[in-house]
Amino acid sequence: MRFRHRLLLVLFLSALPLAAQAQQTKPIGFPDAPGRDVTLQLCFQCHGDGMWRDYRQDRRGWEGALYRMVGRGALWTEDEINAMAGYLAATYGPQAGKASK
Amino acid sequence: MRELVARYLSRSISRRSFLKGLTVSGVSLAAAKSVLESLVPLAHAQGTPGAAGSGVKVFQGTGGECFAEQLIASGVKYVFGNSAFEDAQFYEALVDRPQLKYILTPHEGPGAAMAAGYVKASGEPTIVMQAAVVGLMNAMGQIYNAHKEQTPVVFYSYRTDQTRRAGRDGFEEVANQEQIVQPLTKYAWLARRADMIPETLRRAFKAAWTPPYGPTYVSWHSDLSDEKGVRTEIIAQEKVDPRMRVRPNPAEVERAAQLLVEAKMPLMIVGDELYHTKSVAKAVKLAELLGMPVAQARQMYANFPTGHPLWVGGLPVARINSLTYPKEPDVVINVGNKLQHQSPAPIVGRNVKFIDLRIDSVSMGNVIITDVPLVADVAYGLDDLTAAVEGLMTPALQEKAAERAQEVRRFSQQASAMRALVTKNPDWNRNPMLADRVTWEVAQFADKDAIIVHEAGSVNLHSFGFNPLGGRELFFYYGAHLGSGVGTAAGVKLARPNQQVICLVGDGSFIFGPTALWNMARLELPVITVVYNNHAYSGPHSRVIDKTAGGRMVQTGQFYHDYLGSPDMNMAHIARGFGVDGEVVESAAQLKAALARARKATVEGRPYLIDAQVARVGVAWAEKPWIPPIRVAQERTRKV
Repeated sequence: MRFRHRLLLVLFLSALPLAAQAQQTKPIGFPDAPGRDVTLQLCFQCHGDGMWRDYRQDRRGWEGALYRMVGRGALWTEDEINAMAGYLAATYGPQAGKASK
Repeated sequence: MRELVARYLSRSISRRSFLKGLTVSGVSLAAAKSVLESLVPLAHAQGTPGAAGSGVKVFQGTGGECFAEQLIASGVKYVFGNSAFEDAQFYEALVDRPQLKYILTPHEGPGAAMAAGYVKASGEPTIVMQAAVVGLMNAMGQIYNAHKEQTPVVFYSYRTDQTRRAGRDGFEEVANQEQIVQPLTKYAWLARRADMIPETLRRAFKAAWTPPYGPTYVSWHSDLSDEKGVRTEIIAQEKVDPRMRVRPNPAEVERAAQLLVEAKMPLMIVGDELYHTKSVAKAVKLAELLGMPVAQARQMYANFPTGHPLWVGGLPVARINSLTYPKEPDVVINVGNKLQHQSPAPIVGRNVKFIDLRIDSVSMGNVIITDVPLVADVAYGLDDLTAAVEGLMTPALQEKAAERAQEVRRFSQQASAMRALVTKNPDWNRNPMLADRVTWEVAQFADKDAIIVHEAGSVNLHSFGFNPLGGRELFFYYGAHLGSGVGTAAGVKLARPNQQVICLVGDGSFIFGPTALWNMARLELPVITVVYNNHAYSGPHSRVIDKTAGGRMVQTGQFYHDYLGSPDMNMAHIARGFGVDGEVVESAAQLKAALARARKATVEGRPYLIDAQVARVGVAWAEKPWIPPIRVAQERTRKV
């Protein structure tokens, strides 16, 4: 069978305040591009975009951020990580404008 | 042997424990029995006629001696304290009571953390002594932790002597001192006369160690300790302990068993009561019987083997519906987890049948609707529930459970492979290191049965593979008054001298309570401390941005609250000041070499500290973070 892998910020071993991010924000304002759906599905499982929507970095930078989430317990495949890194680099890359609040 | 004899004569250990203690120290069983027989007349001579063997003796001495005698009778081996002349008669009493070991701690906070670590790792009683209300204030943070973590530690501090000074708002005096701790303790009491010191202590130990556990507090005016010729009863703790081990209501057990066997997808949440009652194996047995996946919400210990095929991981964001798998459990059983809520949504939703098995009845049903409450010692509860489930299992149900177990196994195998992807981070080899790299290196290094004391708040542990059934153990924190990690690790090592103890601590947490390093050095407690040092409060950094996205701080880069560098703290230098060798490392290669040196040091009986330089990663970290421009130099007009 196939399981749907979703972002998992594991609280068992994690810092207390992550749990306070449980109140999820509805994803709005994300441009349509390849990887959008998987990004919204996986990232918003545990937190909103407030922590990173002002962040701008290239694909390698986003990959690093996503693999750090694996260290925090996210259960993702490499394909999913690649798709998310591609989307984030395209829409939140160094040249992208700052998101409005 | 001197100590064992003293403990036996004072009835703080049984004949069996005495024999065991001697044989462990290398004495043959025959010789140990011979020693025991020679002591019998002496043991019987202690106390009043007729009281021999009853666990009760009449003692006459100073108030301080009465204090010491009752501690011995209550089974206390170690006393953790900070000094005060008001406790002079107690110190005097220690000289002829070698079985009572006083550990001087340079600060009551880490001292109390050390005591709590000792209690957690040994299951043995102890007391923490503070100097008056001022010392009590230092210990308050750890009293709070003990309250939240349900750790049975007894705290004591004297009050101003009542003969001449008390009641004048004098030096180190505050009104109603014992009331300060009341919201955080199960019992807080003031002994009214010197002869009541032992009775007050017994009640404190009884309350602390009656489940659900928690801290207690005792106090008395200091002149009661000075009083001479005090005549009082000293009573062995076992004579007043209610031994409260509760079996669950049989009718509720049957209801719970029925729900579990009929469930399409049951889920077990495990918690610290399993560790306290040494019943992890019973939880494994019930889970295997039902092919039931197992998860854990935040707790202190790893309460289930994380390599077990039924283990599905921690609860993300404190709700079962955020688990990757199973997505739709229809029956949830909680075994011994206090279920700390972090959000308005209940951890277990309203559409799920919920069985709550634990001794802490007060916190049951406060947020989550409980279909079957099983108030019990979880060891007994699991025994009874497992027997009831076994009685209901048919071949068809067994087949269903086996199929479910296969499904869970497939998930856990996939999850395990995905967790291992952490090493694919393109920054894996960067310097300063990723926190994940430090964790991974330590996990590769740690002994198979190492105890990991974890107080690195912004670091999520991975790669360790905890197993409370003889493998690596975890001592995390639940109370979150920071500064407990180093002290806890020292206390754990005191209790478990034959297991490797590694303390993982963030720089922010470390700097709240490093004084226990001195205790490690003095007591030769070979703990390896690894500080994740990013010179920042990275947790508050990220979470502040989450609340102020797009705001002025992000626009200007002016963060007031998170940067601890410039000057950078050197934790290895701090350690050396306490008599602990240490070093700073900046790369994975250096970390590996340092861990090897740490192992050598600990094999030789010396503690060691590694200050691991960790990268600040994430949103809006500048290469050189902004520092608030507070420069007193501009205001100085005199070079003094």
